[in-house]
Amino acid sequence: MKRAALFIVLLLALPASALAEDVMAQVSPEAIDIGALYNGTSIAVSGLVPEGSQVALRFTGAPEEVRMKQKGKFLGLLWMNMNTLHFSGVPKVCLVESTAPLGEMGEAGGKLSLTGMAQSIGIEPAGADRGMLLPELLKLKRGEGLYRESSGAIVLGAARGAAREFSANVSIPSRLSPGSYVVEIFAVKDGRVVAQGVKNIEAKLVGIPAQLADLAFNHGALYGIFASIIAILAGLAIGIVFQSKEAH
Amino acid sequence: MSIPIELYLPIAGNSVNIAAVFGLGGAVGLLSGIFGVGGGFLMTPLLIMMGIPPTVAAASDSNQIVGASTSGTLAHLRLGNVDVKMGVLLLVGGVLGGTVGVEIIKILRQMGNADFLINITYVLMLGLVGGYMFVESLQSMKKAKAEAKAPSTQEKHVKSSAFGRFSASLPWQMEFKRSGVRMSPLLPLFLGGLVGVLSAIMGVGGGFIMVPVMVYLLRMPMHVVVGTSLFQILFTCINVTVMQSIFNHTVDFVLALILLIGSALGAQIGAKIGKKLHGDQLKILLATLVLVVMFKILYELLATPNVLLAYVGGH
Repeated sequence: MKRAALFIVLLLALPASALAEDVMAQVSPEAIDIGALYNGTSIAVSGLVPEGSQVALRFTGAPEEVRMKQKGKFLGLLWMNMNTLHFSGVPKVCLVESTAPLGEMGEAGGKLSLTGMAQSIGIEPAGADRGMLLPELLKLKRGEGLYRESSGAIVLGAARGAAREFSANVSIPSRLSPGSYVVEIFAVKDGRVVAQGVKNIEAKLVGIPAQLADLAFNHGALYGIFASIIAILAGLAIGIVFQSKEAH
Repeated sequence: MSIPIELYLPIAGNSVNIAAVFGLGGAVGLLSGIFGVGGGFLMTPLLIMMGIPPTVAAASDSNQIVGASTSGTLAHLRLGNVDVKMGVLLLVGGVLGGTVGVEIIKILRQMGNADFLINITYVLMLGLVGGYMFVESLQSMKKAKAEAKAPSTQEKHVKSSAFGRFSASLPWQMEFKRSGVRMSPLLPLFLGGLVGVLSAIMGVGGGFIMVPVMVYLLRMPMHVVVGTSLFQILFTCINVTVMQSIFNHTVDFVLALILLIGSALGAQIGAKIGKKLHGDQLKILLATLVLVVMFKILYELLATPNVLLAYVGGH
């Protein structure tokens, strides 16, 4: 039943997006370097949208499978991790920025919102209570700073004929893992997406974090032994410093 | 106060404030130096609150404890508080017990409801251990005040005659000079194994089960217990760090290094503070700490969680 509904939604959505024109946009920087001092960043997005439309930007990471435990009451008293759930198609990150609150942007706004995005997340077992679980998942991800929905950071500029300039700074959380991300730009008019565009952004580790990650993931044993030895040496060094202090 | 330097942790996949992590390490190291516990039960939840994924928090904490317990063991060695022979026996028992514990937890997980059993075991163990220690040390503190100074060791022998007789009946009795006790090596091997099983099931280092075991069942003096416990934890955590690095890639070395510089410093200061306290004072403080942790876990079991979902793999 739900699958069928989803299918119909997809059928309706396809021609709509096919009809929409392309938004020309620039994203800067075009790649995110995660170095030792990385502490979140912001990316500037700018371009042209059809005159009279509102703008929504979405920064998303590749969808992944997430295994979770649902908490429930055991013996009606104690909260426990109960049954295991498999969520599929959960974007690592999903930041939505819009000129006006999405709730005021009609049907398209609803689809672009986190709640709208969550409709495409699959849950195993099939009988799970989506109405309860999806908001909980969003709450968890919001708490981690990985999901966000906000308005006001997009500035609409001067009109250029039938188009209008826009620009925005989207702040990217510090909790970012390397991988492929996309920035999608939607122009919304009368509750419908009239134009859209996509830009890819690659986030990669550079410098010391890149070397450490390489060692940790490709030479685990060596990394573990190194980590232990350095910990022991640091512990010894501090112990000896304390001893010599005491001697004086 | 806080130094505005954020550092990105490649394995945790997040950045943290160096000063905050350093301070956290220092505070936990202090406790570790005073009581001879690893402090994982405090450190891991606080790291999770700072935005570190649970699995990475637990594994990096083990790495950190390697440094802190090296520093702590060194400080206690100097104070003559480490019974190496006893420590090695407990360690060997602990490793064997840990292996058995891991198998038990696998079976429990397959049967379902493992988490329930883990949490209940946790609360019961902490409640029993903390409660007993608290009452016992309170009584002996009162006694010490009443009768100027009584030879408490003799009294203890009378109290546990059954266990004492059992202990004396075991073969290969030997002297443990540092601890000033005489017993069969089978006893620490077996008790170490038992703690190993429990700590593997509960997913903790086992410091605060091991400490009471050494005090009450092995009859070691409290100060030697603290030093020997740290000695033992050092090796347990090296094992965990290497295993986690190989199989789960969850050790964040940068995080561990900042933590351990803080905690190694804390452990040194802790060892000195501990020396100033009497055995009974140490016991009652540790008992209080254990009870606080017990109530915290009990509260988590009873209160409605903020989010009704939890990642699998975390503790």
